[in-house]
Amino acid sequence: MIPPGEAPGLVLHDVSVRFGTRVGLVGVSLAVGRGERVVLLGPSGEGKTTLLRAIAGLDELVAGHVRVGGRDVSRDLPESRGVVYLHQRPSMFPHLSVVDNVGFPMEVRGIPRLQARERAMVLLERVQLAPLATRSALALSGGQQHRVAIARALAADPVALLLDEPFNALDPALRADVRDSVVESLGVAGGPSVLMVTHDVDEAAALGDRIAVLLGGRIVQDAPPAVTLSRPATHAVARFLGVPNCVAGTSDGRGTFTCALGQFACDLPAGRAMLVARADAMRAASAIGVADDRNDASPASQITATVEALQHRVGGTTLRVRLENAGSGDPLPLTVVAGIGALPTPGDVVSLDILRDRVHVVAADPASHV
Amino acid sequence: MSMQRDAMASGRVVAPWHVFLLVALGVVSLGPVLLLVLRAAAASWLYPDLLPSRGATGSTLGAFATPILWSALTRSVLLAVATAVVATLLGFVAGRGLVRAPRGLRELATGAAFLPVVAPPIALGVGIQVLAIRAGVGGSLVGVLIAHVIPAAGYLTLYFLGVLSAYDRSMEDEARTLGATAWQTFLRVTVPALRARWLEALVLGALVSWGQLALTLLVGGGAVQTLPVALLSFTRAGDDRLAAAAALLLTIPPALAFGVVQRGARRTGASA
Repeated sequence: MIPPGEAPGLVLHDVSVRFGTRVGLVGVSLAVGRGERVVLLGPSGEGKTTLLRAIAGLDELVAGHVRVGGRDVSRDLPESRGVVYLHQRPSMFPHLSVVDNVGFPMEVRGIPRLQARERAMVLLERVQLAPLATRSALALSGGQQHRVAIARALAADPVALLLDEPFNALDPALRADVRDSVVESLGVAGGPSVLMVTHDVDEAAALGDRIAVLLGGRIVQDAPPAVTLSRPATHAVARFLGVPNCVAGTSDGRGTFTCALGQFACDLPAGRAMLVARADAMRAASAIGVADDRNDASPASQITATVEALQHRVGGTTLRVRLENAGSGDPLPLTVVAGIGALPTPGDVVSLDILRDRVHVVAADPASHV
Repeated sequence: MSMQRDAMASGRVVAPWHVFLLVALGVVSLGPVLLLVLRAAAASWLYPDLLPSRGATGSTLGAFATPILWSALTRSVLLAVATAVVATLLGFVAGRGLVRAPRGLRELATGAAFLPVVAPPIALGVGIQVLAIRAGVGGSLVGVLIAHVIPAAGYLTLYFLGVLSAYDRSMEDEARTLGATAWQTFLRVTVPALRARWLEALVLGALVSWGQLALTLLVGGGAVQTLPVALLSFTRAGDDRLAAAAALLLTIPPALAFGVVQRGARRTGASA
């Protein structure tokens, strides 16, 4: 959140925007401090782009106010809001060279061409593209065009910078590189407030100082990435983030939640609730047998599960396991990380260690039938 | 044979009937132009001679030096340029408006733009003539200009509707948020970004005016002598030589314009 006393660069107050023919986002409120990066994360078709366009003055606000640098710009023209909006694909001006693209915002404000070019060269140095200054902007690669677009946006000296899924069109191999370069370019003291939209959870976690999750036309959670990812505010947020383990249970209203994995602390009223946990909250401690003899091998107090499959990913290997004695009669599927030692194989029975500080209990989604 | 050899050298095989088609196409398209050149240059070419019986008298360009021909040519050029500029501007404004218009209105307006394009010029001319006379511009250059602009603007409205429907406006949006006013955005982004399209539109508008006979005759009442009107007069008077010279002058600019547009399209990477 914005530190006390610091003027927010961008503030949305009860903003509603039209999405197609209907009002898609209702009562969105959000504040982004100077130099802060907030990522608006939500599924495709949720109205994220429409919201950015409305903030930039390119689409109409149905209701609410947009304040930029403390000034209400809700009715101002796009060019006088102090907000720069960057599309998913960088829009290079095809008839201008790289340096003239970057100098464009200064020239339209009446800064002499020579002065604008000098400043543009400084910005191109910052994005490491100065050697390509005289080239046609269209001759650059996708990643280079992104960096020119960022330099050009900074040339406008915006109070707020809106990035609309900026790395979506890039190859995965190039994406991280361009992302790092952009973060480095924006990470200067007193820089613009950056509001970026994406539907990519990893990108949001890598770029945002905060993640605001947009679901059902509303911001349902606004917190630092570590909090949002480990403690989703609702079951719907957990499902959207792709949290693999959602275990239904009951809250007794007195601070205890009970489910097939045991009892956990919670502060929910009595009723249905849901334990949500990432794979790294549960560890397959060791192989203690195979499925056929697990009843003999597992101590009664231990949570045991049968390994169904191993999922190998760049970040490590996770296990798909099945908890047979889940209470409801149906086996409970879980995704867990492998513990130290040799990897188990499908059919092995493993004991599960649950890291209680990494699991989180939320109210059950009314639409959920888990 | 040499073509066949070239084709063979480049690894392609050209069938004999391909060569025949190419020659036939050349004869059909260039033959009439060649006849016009011969007729314009010859002092006399009487039936049943296969070729002109007498060469040019005095200057070989004698037919082209006729004042009446130059006066008509100048008027045609003026009308073509003015029509191109006015119709291009009208077509761009209308096309841009229609791209953003609600679907029903867009279809209605597109139909209206089609009308002067598909209506036979003679029929269109009768309607415009009545209006021109009532407006006091019948028989004047201004009246003829208005008559030429009407079908040209229709063509160019449809042309720009197509161009702007495919045009990515994100560039303009970004320019606005970078601090450019709507007018700056138009002048510094839209106009240069559509440079090749402007050129094509101007050429198209000029060509609509360039060959216009029915509208010029009906609205100009014979008082406005353009090249097609002069050509008709020469033909009626039996002056084949001047008619051929006028016909050549009518043919050359469109061919040059086509070449310019092709070159521009290649340079900008756009398809012609």
